[in-house]
Amino acid sequence: MLLPWDYGVRNLARRPIRTLLTFMALFIVVLLILVVIGFIRGLEHSLVVSGDPQVALIYSVSSEENIESSSISASTPALIAASLDSTWKRYGVVHASPELYLGTRVSVGEQSNGLGLVRGVTKTSPLVRRSVRIVDGQWPIAGEVLIGRLVGPKLGVAESNLSIGQSIDFEGRSWRISGHFAAQGSAFESEIWCNLQDFQTATKRQDISLVALRLAPEAKVAEIQLFCKQRTDLELRSMGETAYYASLQKHYGPVRTLAWFVVVLVSSSGVFAGMNMMYGAVAGRVREIATLQAIGFRRRAILLSLVQEGLLLAAAASVLACTIGLWFVNGMAIRFTMGAFALSIDEFAIMVASAVGVLIGSLGAIPPATKALRANVATSLKAI
Amino acid sequence: MKLSSLATIGLVSFGLVIGAVGCSPSSDTTAGNTSAKSSSYVLTSEPAGAMPVGEARKQVKDNDEVTLVGLIGGSSDPFVDGMAAFTIVDAKVPYCAADEGCPTPWDYCCQTEAVKENIATVKIVDESGKPVMSDARKLLKVKELSTVTVQGKAKRDPQGNLAIHATKLFVREGK
Repeated sequence: MLLPWDYGVRNLARRPIRTLLTFMALFIVVLLILVVIGFIRGLEHSLVVSGDPQVALIYSVSSEENIESSSISASTPALIAASLDSTWKRYGVVHASPELYLGTRVSVGEQSNGLGLVRGVTKTSPLVRRSVRIVDGQWPIAGEVLIGRLVGPKLGVAESNLSIGQSIDFEGRSWRISGHFAAQGSAFESEIWCNLQDFQTATKRQDISLVALRLAPEAKVAEIQLFCKQRTDLELRSMGETAYYASLQKHYGPVRTLAWFVVVLVSSSGVFAGMNMMYGAVAGRVREIATLQAIGFRRRAILLSLVQEGLLLAAAASVLACTIGLWFVNGMAIRFTMGAFALSIDEFAIMVASAVGVLIGSLGAIPPATKALRANVATSLKAI
Repeated sequence: MKLSSLATIGLVSFGLVIGAVGCSPSSDTTAGNTSAKSSSYVLTSEPAGAMPVGEARKQVKDNDEVTLVGLIGGSSDPFVDGMAAFTIVDAKVPYCAADEGCPTPWDYCCQTEAVKENIATVKIVDESGKPVMSDARKLLKVKELSTVTVQGKAKRDPQGNLAIHATKLFVREGK
């Protein structure tokens, strides 16, 4: 015969302080796991959505996968368009975006002199970078910049200092903010966009870093790659944009491994903390457990009731942690090496954190409960 | 409502939420069948009179029928993804020895100037002259630094670059 469901629930309310402390410990563990997984998922999401399968990047063969150090001739877009039919054209406009991309010191008033990512672009850029949306303001004209949604966190400055009409300084010039853009959580959101020619003048450069091409519907990245390999004199290299960001993900492999290691450590400490709390809880109930055995309840039924208590607490703590995570942690911007990204509390993060919480609640209750049930009933009944 | 009933409803709801989360649609990652097909482009015996790549760059004219020999390489990634095409380098150009510990000896990183005059692009084409849209590594069982002999039509451009539209290929044993 099993113990009534109510019995376990009432037991929780009978020792409110101990229950609250266990609940808080479980809540913190689940929230910590949620934050770490949110970090991993946010980083992955940022790189995954940055790549468009219909976009090919052309950059210098000597820069390997580091586009910031790439330098190619400004005539490359015209040359590609003339040599290949693979580029998408509509109404006579070739969907090719020549870009100058740099990491440079950016000052916002006197507050910050952090490393910012600046991309010199032309009006064809939105034709290729379709995820980019101007959320307020307008496209930058000469001397103006368009600010990504995560530039504030990237530079470590308040959003209020990056409002339309204010100025930021880089490459020895002051640039007026003309607007803000979002890009579906992609890496572009931590960038500052300005007019390509303007940026070339400011940096005293005539070259560009890369050309981003939107492929025609039937075209393949392989055709562009082949062109780059055939024209060895141009020293170009091409890669699909998704492949490029996938290659960046490989660099972050050790960070992800470390983050998962943190998840395991936090979970383990949570199991031990839960177990410790349950040992305390069960130790104070030796007589009660012995009485239950004496009146005929089987050990298995008592064990199940104790696990039920742990499970209930863990489930409640997980629900609260996930709610807090979704409301306050999800979307929180994180500054990270050459960019910034938003923490992503998605279904996977919720599932793993909740599963770990439930596991802690159930597994943590088993060893102390087993220990208490092994004790001699007659002796336990006399326990103080 | 009693506390126990509330707790029951809460636990059941929690289970349903977790279940629903676990059942949320996931992207279909089933890859297409990429079973290797036997290649009709691979020769079983090496054609005679193959010309080294460096020599070919000096002598061969546009649309000449040529037989060329070289090692697959010239950059860190000499293959074109999704197309049976790659670059070959003249065997006379040395690459890093195995004991030097270079992870990508096929990029000829110490011989970049020599590579410029000793490199050709090979594109495997079908009977109608269209490129074969299949990865060369799977189709032809080749890898970086494989020595290959290719037969096909030479394509030159005003910049002096050499490309071969190859219809047949022989892979030497060993490297």
